Amino acid sequence: MFNLVENEILKTIFKKRLLLILGILFVLIALFSYGEKYTIQKNKDQLTKRIGVSASYNWSKLSEQQIISIKGRLDNPYIPDSEKASLRVQIEQLQYDIDHGINPVSSSAGKFSSSFMEQAIFMFIPLLIIMLAADMMSGEASTGTIKLLLTRNVPRWKILVSKFLALLILEVIVLVFSIILSTLVSGLFFGYGGWREPVVAGFKVIGGKLDASNVRSVPQWQYTLMVYALAYFVAVVIGSISFMVSVLVKSTSASIGIMMSTLVGGTILSFFIADWKFTRYLFMVNLRLTDYLSGSVQPVAGINITFSVLVLSAWAVGAFIISFVRFTTQDILV
Amino acid sequence: MLTPVLQLEDISKNIKGREIVRDINLTLEAAEVFGFLGPNGAGKTTTIRMIVGLIKPTHGRIKICGYDVSKDFVKAMSNVGCIIESPEMYKYLTGKDNLLQYASMDKRVTKERISQVIDMVGMEHRINDKVSTYSLGMRQRLGIAQALLCKPKLLILDEPTNGLDPAGITEFRNLIRHLALEDGMTVFVSSHLLSEAQQMCDSVAILKHGTIVKHTTVKEILESETIEWSLSDPLKAINILKEKWGIVGSMNSDNILSASLKGLSLEDVNAYFIHQGIGLKYANKKQNTLEELFLDLTEGDEIV
Repeated sequence: MFNLVENEILKTIFKKRLLLILGILFVLIALFSYGEKYTIQKNKDQLTKRIGVSASYNWSKLSEQQIISIKGRLDNPYIPDSEKASLRVQIEQLQYDIDHGINPVSSSAGKFSSSFMEQAIFMFIPLLIIMLAADMMSGEASTGTIKLLLTRNVPRWKILVSKFLALLILEVIVLVFSIILSTLVSGLFFGYGGWREPVVAGFKVIGGKLDASNVRSVPQWQYTLMVYALAYFVAVVIGSISFMVSVLVKSTSASIGIMMSTLVGGTILSFFIADWKFTRYLFMVNLRLTDYLSGSVQPVAGINITFSVLVLSAWAVGAFIISFVRFTTQDILV
Repeated sequence: MLTPVLQLEDISKNIKGREIVRDINLTLEAAEVFGFLGPNGAGKTTTIRMIVGLIKPTHGRIKICGYDVSKDFVKAMSNVGCIIESPEMYKYLTGKDNLLQYASMDKRVTKERISQVIDMVGMEHRINDKVSTYSLGMRQRLGIAQALLCKPKLLILDEPTNGLDPAGITEFRNLIRHLALEDGMTVFVSSHLLSEAQQMCDSVAILKHGTIVKHTTVKEILESETIEWSLSDPLKAINILKEKWGIVGSMNSDNILSASLKGLSLEDVNAYFIHQGIGLKYANKKQNTLEELFLDLTEGDEIV
């Protein structure tokens, strides 16, 4: 089995697909950290002008200012209730930061690494994983190499499982490289520190009210690890579903296309999540797992981290079973 | 009695309601070079895919060295090396890396064996180049090399001479004969090059519309001969052949009668024709070839 998994990983490396994915990751991280630096600088300048104090030294004033502006929006009678709830959550979070001496404005490599993944978890990381996984089986089918692979003295299920294990390992590689690249690149802009700063996690939203009873302050490094662990879980789920599509569809471009349109379509469907119950069982709308950590979640009754993790797990297990059954029984006609 | 290397028992395959292959029975013994011939779409590749377990027969059983392919896949496939249609290798790997991929899937394959098969197919000089730079002929050679890695008892080659130059074809033919003679390998070759098959194979089967219409040895084909007569009354002669000797003759559009005499002496037949008052212009002995037999049996079908 080990030799088969090794074969699969070697193939992905020599195909330069992994290299391409890491290259895209690097470019995006560089753009993202430059963008963040630019925005922070601009915000600081604006606020300094507006409040007349230097924001970098007096960030708590800045947070208070933000709270006032959000409260102003809450008075607007035309804002829907669900958004009001989310604004209230933001206020309470800002208040919590002020009370506990946490600076929300400044950035650091530590902070960037987690905030980057919080933004990437529902679209960018899934896209990279789709590029990786959607080729696993259809790549062999479209080039015809599957015929030589399946006529060795190795049972079909072993070929399938070895490819799946290789995918799990490649997903680890992608996420480890995201931590390394985001730290190295953002460090150039914000400095390499910030790993020991406290981060608040564990907010719970109950009926549109923030429940701070579970709130804990954890060091940044621990928070980053939690974010990446959730991202790995998302990668495994997306990987399994793409893997299934690549077993079912013979062409790589078709399987990448199917997965990408599903993913993008899902983000559109997530607008209906509060009213249309069916949509909450789609994997695409449950990918923002890190939002449950930071508390920046749109509060919808019945949807919490346990729900999302269960939905995603069910999708991953289902996808694996379908791939397994289909692959071990199908006629290879390519 | 030795277990046959390959046994097909009543194999049929339907794909989407169409019967592609129907009731194929075939037994190959050790060290036999077998040619599997047939026009396009006759079901050659479908049959080969069933033998190597890529598709499941709708009906029937396939055994390789006594092991059922659907029940004992791993044991059956331990005895098989194959190329199905064109030899598709990983283009982004070198020839050597391709072989290493397949070698690592089979514990029996040693480093020595890898260099041995590279030698056998004459690839020493190009083996460390990427497959994307290979010509079709080079890829064929590499394909044969990967099929030989596990020292199979049954070597299945689908159109193996595609893309080989004349020298390459001769080399390939010698390699196949050598493998059968020295290593006792059974070689199953599907081909559309009939003169090739005639030179290379011990036995052939001709497939038409999914069934085997003829299974015979090449020797038998070459030994049989056909006589062609130009006669004053060919119809009468056909009747005579039929009534006196039970031989079925046929007449072509030029009124040339042809028949196979099956051991009868031509002099006797000619003497009898003359005795019966049939004018004899000429009689000509013609040795049969596989090509004629093939065209005869697959009449009206396109051969590519």
